[in-house]
Amino acid sequence: MVGPATASLSPLTRSDGSSSYKCPATGFNILGSVNAPVELPARRDALKPEEATVEVLVKPGTYPAGVGERYVEGILKGMLGKLVLGREKGYPRRGVVITLAVVGSEDVGRGDSYLTMLPALLHASHLALLSAAVPLSMTFTATVLAVTSSGDIIRDPSVKDATAATSLHVLAISSKGHLLLNESQGAFDFDTWERVHQRALTICRGVQPSGSDGNIAMVEDMEGRPLEGFIRETVEDKVYHDYAWKIDAA
Amino acid sequence: MTTPLILLPSDNVPSDHLPSNTSAPLRLGPGLRLLSEQQSSTPSPGHVINASRAGLLSTDPKRNAVSILSFPNHRYIPTTNDLVIAQVHHSSAEYFHCMVTPQTPHALLAQLAFEGATKKTRPVLKQGDLVYARVLSIGVSAGAEVELTCVNPATGKAEQGGLGPLTGGMVFDVSTGLAARLTRASSSKAEYEDGVAGLVVLDELGTKLEGIGGFEIAVGRNGKVWVDCSNAGDSAIRATVAIGRCLHAVDESNLSPAEQRKLVSRTLREMEV
Repeated sequence: MVGPATASLSPLTRSDGSSSYKCPATGFNILGSVNAPVELPARRDALKPEEATVEVLVKPGTYPAGVGERYVEGILKGMLGKLVLGREKGYPRRGVVITLAVVGSEDVGRGDSYLTMLPALLHASHLALLSAAVPLSMTFTATVLAVTSSGDIIRDPSVKDATAATSLHVLAISSKGHLLLNESQGAFDFDTWERVHQRALTICRGVQPSGSDGNIAMVEDMEGRPLEGFIRETVEDKVYHDYAWKIDAA
Repeated sequence: MTTPLILLPSDNVPSDHLPSNTSAPLRLGPGLRLLSEQQSSTPSPGHVINASRAGLLSTDPKRNAVSILSFPNHRYIPTTNDLVIAQVHHSSAEYFHCMVTPQTPHALLAQLAFEGATKKTRPVLKQGDLVYARVLSIGVSAGAEVELTCVNPATGKAEQGGLGPLTGGMVFDVSTGLAARLTRASSSKAEYEDGVAGLVVLDELGTKLEGIGGFEIAVGRNGKVWVDCSNAGDSAIRATVAIGRCLHAVDESNLSPAEQRKLVSRTLREMEV
């Protein structure tokens, strides 16, 4: 595993909220921006009249957006739309527009799987939503896992590993331990998926549910720091920076 | 003061961080909501206060209020009684249609909602003119219109000084967080050495620019600051730009009171005011 991911909040001054997220293992560098609440271009875009509508735009670095981008936009829109509390003051009938620009990546060609980039896109949009102070019901973290033909699970596979893998899984897990997103590709059986799920829980939360008694056991630190802690630290760093005048005075 | 508590969405506010004043009901500010606890481990079904945005928990024991201070450059969401600087977009028979933040529906300002305005004598505002107004109502249902006013509807007076059209001067965009700090700093007495909310930049500019005639300032909660130095004669433009530069610098980098004083002296020297 290469070093931990790096992220910053509010790098853009003109948008309502923004984030940049760089994952060194896969090399993806995403710049995310959120504008909310804004007026939708047409009334018919407000699908649910009592709630906010989430719009996601993915901009690849070197070529115009195509079918692959529409596909991930759909996944992101479906998941983030459930996370945003669209009934809070000022949000009903308005739009939450998330723009994600791929600033740097490994050589992803057209037609390659988009799943390898999905966790980076999810993290970038999540941090941008936090930065824009959009009301959210919970936080989440995501990871991509590849299962090789020998049955090994690789965390954050490179594009080459992903192409060679028999199956590829993206899982997003909420701060409460719920499975929010499961996108899989390739051939696998239920046992494999269970192992992938366990591994994802360890990576995202650092805990493993041990059986039905509800107890949770801390796992050895083999996965490095859980991703949940990474999100929290990024937010705390920024708050300490922005509110230094208040925290120092107290 | 306890250690600063930073919350993320879905975190619960620990009860020992809430103000202990029980005489008044607890007021929940932006970013917090009341949820009923579902866990069966607690014997009685209680309620928890849950965060819905990330930020620093701030409590006000005097008002018995608790809220979350989020990142300062989020978009302004109109709240009743906030003072905002709006720009007239167009006018209709009854209303001026004003822009409070970009890419949001226009807010309505009644043509007669000015001090001393009647059907015969009312201010004529053209497209692009600025108004310092108070948010009268934000509507109840989804997609309702925001209404502004420049008078207190009960008395018909412009109270709080300065509500109404802003003529001359220049508007600077700042973050909503800085706008809130500036409002707090100007509404309370500057008796502290370090200023209110850690801001001394306006006091310092005030003392330094007193010699050339001082300046007028209006802070809108929607992240707009209007500055007018028309008394300053020849150096009016330079002084205005200097004030704007100081505000932008304070907004971009977190400056301590001492650094703010240094910034003011340096900027004024550079601009030769």
